[in-house]
Amino acid sequence: MSDLSVTIAGVRLPNPVMPASGTYDYSERHDNFFSPAELGAVVNKTIFLNHKPGNKPPRVYEAPCGMLNAIGIPTAGVKDFIENTLPLMRGYGVPVIVSIAGNTSEEFCKLAEIITETGKADMLELNLSCPNLNEGVEWARDKKLLYDIVKLISESTTLPVIAKLSPMVTDIAEMGLIAEEAGASALAVFNTYRGMVIDINTMKPVLGNIAGGLSGPAIHPLAVYSVYSTYKRVSIPIIGMGGIASWKDAVEFILAGATAVAVGMYNFVNPMIMIEVIEGMSRYLHEKGISNIRDIVGKAHR
Amino acid sequence: MHQTVTGKPPIFQAAQIVKIEKRHREYIYMALDSPYIALNALPGQFVMIKLPDADDLILPRPFDIVTADSAKGEIELVIKITGKGTHRLSHKKPGELLLLTGPLGRGITDFTGDSSIGLLVRGVGAAAVVLLANRAKEKGIKVVTFLSASTKERLVCREYLEPLSHTVFIATDDGTEGYRGNAWEMLDSFLDKTALDQIYTCGSRRFARHIKKLDSEGKTRGFVFLEGFMACGMGDCHGCAVKKAKEEGYFLVCQDGPVFPVGVVEIKS
Repeated sequence: MSDLSVTIAGVRLPNPVMPASGTYDYSERHDNFFSPAELGAVVNKTIFLNHKPGNKPPRVYEAPCGMLNAIGIPTAGVKDFIENTLPLMRGYGVPVIVSIAGNTSEEFCKLAEIITETGKADMLELNLSCPNLNEGVEWARDKKLLYDIVKLISESTTLPVIAKLSPMVTDIAEMGLIAEEAGASALAVFNTYRGMVIDINTMKPVLGNIAGGLSGPAIHPLAVYSVYSTYKRVSIPIIGMGGIASWKDAVEFILAGATAVAVGMYNFVNPMIMIEVIEGMSRYLHEKGISNIRDIVGKAHR
Repeated sequence: MHQTVTGKPPIFQAAQIVKIEKRHREYIYMALDSPYIALNALPGQFVMIKLPDADDLILPRPFDIVTADSAKGEIELVIKITGKGTHRLSHKKPGELLLLTGPLGRGITDFTGDSSIGLLVRGVGAAAVVLLANRAKEKGIKVVTFLSASTKERLVCREYLEPLSHTVFIATDDGTEGYRGNAWEMLDSFLDKTALDQIYTCGSRRFARHIKKLDSEGKTRGFVFLEGFMACGMGDCHGCAVKKAKEEGYFLVCQDGPVFPVGVVEIKS
C-alpha cells in the first residue's frame, strides 16, 4: 500500500481528498455511501456570522459538461454551525477545515476568532471568491483587498489559513503569491467562474440571480493550469479543485503541484466519487511503483 | 394526519432496465430492477437518474417513483420526454443500465384518522400520486382522483390510478375525453356533496393555487407536490429552493419536500 497521507501547514491528512466547500453536507442521507471518516479532511459549506437565506431560485442549471450555481451561501450563522455542524465534523476523526466568509473585514475577523476559540477546527478556509454574492466583496479579485484581508485574519487566529482564490483574475499565480506574503498557510485553487444561461423562450436569464458560478469537468483543464502556474510561484501547499470527475482528474492536480484535492460538483452526480478517487489514486501509485504520493506533487514540472 | 419522514437513506447503484416502452410518443413507461428502493420507497419519494454514458448530460434528474413492488424488487417510472436526456433515455433497451440514486425526499407515512383523500393532477404530474393512492387504498382510505390533461393522449397513469381509486373524474382542455374544461370545477362540484379529508395536487400551478384557496377556506387540507431544478436530490447542493409563504427564507424541495402542506410554500402565478 502506498502512503497517501499529506501534510498541509503542519496538519496531517490521511489522504489528499476532501469535499469542495458547499458540495457535501454531513447528514444521514450519506449513510449508505461512505463515512466522512474515510476522507482526507472534512470541509463545511461556507458560513457567515449571521443567518442568510441564500438567493432566489432557480439556483442551479446544467451547462455543457458542468453546472451553474447561484446558491448564494444560505447559512444559519455561526451559532447554529457551532452547535449542530462542527461537533459532527469533529467526530469523524479527520482534520476539520472550516470555511468562512464575511461581507466586511470586521465580520470576517470576528467569525475567524469565534471559530478559533471553539478549539474544534484545524484550519480555516477563507472563501474570498464566491461569485454569487450581490452585496458581498470579491476579496480575491483585488490585490490590495486580498492582501489586507488575509493579513488581518492570519494575525487574528492561531489556526493555519487557507486562501480560496478566484479564477477571474489576470494572473492567479500572482494572487497566490500575494496571499502567501500576507500570511496564508495554503491556497485553494480555485472557486467557480461566473457565467450565465439565457432562456431563449422567455428571453431572460435562467438563474434567479442572473449569473452563477460555473463548475464541473468543463473547467478542469483551466483549474489544472492555474494550479500548475501557481505552484511555480508559491512555496505554500495548494489544494487543487475544479471539475474532478474521476481519480485521474485528481492525479492531474497532484502532478500539476497540488498537495491535496477537493471534489466539488461531481458529488452531486456520483455520491461515491470521493471514495472512488481515493481508491483510484491508491491503485495508480501502486501500479506505478510509487510508495508515497508526496513524491509526485508537482512532478509535471520536472 | 399527514406526516412525512426522511425514511431509509438512499443508495447509489447501476440499475438494470427491466421493461421500457414509449406511449403516445411523449411518455416513457419504465421498470427498473432495484430491490432496495422497491422495499423502502414511500409515497412522495423520488429517484435521481443519470445516463451512464453521457458526460455531456452531467447532472442526474429527479423522477417520481410510480410503483414500488418489493416482491419483484422493481420500481416503475413514468417520464415525459421533454429534453435531450429524456429523449436519449427513450432509446434505451431492456438490459441496459442507468445510474440510480434513491429513495429521496420525505415520504408520506401516516393517514391515521382519514377516510378519504382527493388527488387533483395534471399531465405527467399524475406520476407523483400513484404510490400514494396505492398505500392509501391498502389502508382502506377512499381515493377520489381528478385526472386532467390538455388532450386525451396526455392522460398519464390512468391505468394505474383507475384500479386504486373509488372514482376517477377525467377532464381534458379539448374535450377529447371526459369533461371539457377545468378539473377543479369537477372537484368543486364533488366537494359540494362529499367532503375529502385531504387533497394532494401535482402538475399545475393553477391547481395548486386552487387547492391553496380551498385549504385556506377550511374546505379540506391541501398538499402540493413541487419540483425544482436540483443537482443532487439529497440536500447537498441547496439548489431546489422554494420560497416559504409564512416567513422569510426557503425550503429545499428535495430535503423538506417534495410534498408540502400547500399553505407553507409560495405558489408562483
